Amino acid sequence: MLILQNVSLNRLNTKIFENISFTLGSGRVLILKGKNGSGKTSLIKTILYLLEPSSGSIYWKGKILPKTIYDFYNNITYIGDRPTSLKQLTIEENIKIWKKISISKIDYEKIRNVLTILKLNNYKNKKVSTLSLGEIKKLELLRLIIENKKYWLLDEPFTNLDLDSIDIIRQTFEEHCKNEGSVLFSSHQDIKFSKYEEIKL
Amino acid sequence: MFEFAKKIINFFYREYKLNLSGFHDILTNITFFFISIFIFIFSIGPDNETLSKLAVGIVWTLLLLSSTLSLRKFYKDDFDSHNLLILHLHGMSFEFIAILKTISHFIYVQIPFLVSIPIACIILNISFDKVYNLLLSFVLGSLILSCLGSISASMNLLNQRNYLLGSVIVMIFSIPVIIFSIGIINLEESFNSLINILIGILLILFSVNPWASGACIKLALQNN
Repeated sequence: MLILQNVSLNRLNTKIFENISFTLGSGRVLILKGKNGSGKTSLIKTILYLLEPSSGSIYWKGKILPKTIYDFYNNITYIGDRPTSLKQLTIEENIKIWKKISISKIDYEKIRNVLTILKLNNYKNKKVSTLSLGEIKKLELLRLIIENKKYWLLDEPFTNLDLDSIDIIRQTFEEHCKNEGSVLFSSHQDIKFSKYEEIKL
Repeated sequence: MFEFAKKIINFFYREYKLNLSGFHDILTNITFFFISIFIFIFSIGPDNETLSKLAVGIVWTLLLLSSTLSLRKFYKDDFDSHNLLILHLHGMSFEFIAILKTISHFIYVQIPFLVSIPIACIILNISFDKVYNLLLSFVLGSLILSCLGSISASMNLLNQRNYLLGSVIVMIFSIPVIIFSIGIINLEESFNSLINILIGILLILFSVNPWASGACIKLALQNN
């Protein structure tokens, strides 16, 4: 369980956000909402402990975060606002690399099914540089399935996606939460979940 | 432990795939190296004696210039695509990523030059007994250049405006490497002492590099 307790962040004498408290436990969807520049990405960076909070504490499994940072990393998948797929390689090669780097035991059959659902199966031998922004985003989200971790952290996961894809991703999030997983993401869009909490920045 | 070893092997698999798809970059570097040799030959003239006197210096200078060409790609692509962050989230510290990246740079960028050096020696009329020393000095020198390259490339992540600054830093700090490497080839009586100095420089840089590069990568990711 991840707990943020009165976390504030100041950078170069500027207040980015202050007194953020929430708990991310099993089966929960948390949505970070806020205007541009309100500090959503900075909050995610703070949760990842790339930025050290100016005040407040972050706890992971009851222990203060820097001490258990690698155990925390071992339990999360982070999808940022930029695609991490290697543009000069094909979709299949990228999947193979992600699978190897995360030492995932997921079988290719399951990945193939997800590719079909995301309508990427026909492009699996195409280079990522030839894909559209939406397709690259869908490929990026495939990392959630490949890494198969309990906690998902995402920065603007619905950018560039069409309505059908947004619905597929929303259903995936709901399904993940039913299986005791947790999702935290920042978004501008109004996505409706059966059960969710909003954190306003 | 076994899982961590597997991660390292998989990291090199990823680097192999990346470098294979960007093989034209390696070819461009080697082409630059050979074209520059020909330019030197045309500018100095075809006199064998003058050429063989200057040859070792020419080869080393061009090796340095060619390896600085590849510095731009050292961290930049992986940094821009957040892959450095993803590797970190998979349990590798930034310092360890810097070590792996340096070794990968040595294997995939510097080693191809090892093959080209004997060919360059034939073109420049360098005597065969000097080739062994040249190769040995290059193995040590190129590892040093990879470490220096890692530090300067990671510093460049913080400085988005002036890319050439990193190359200038590498060139300034590689002056001692060039002095000792050329000494190894030309002054055979002090071979052992010079090679020890080169190994010393390598060990210092190899221990400083992870901390310096790791800190720069972390700072750059924070500011990005």
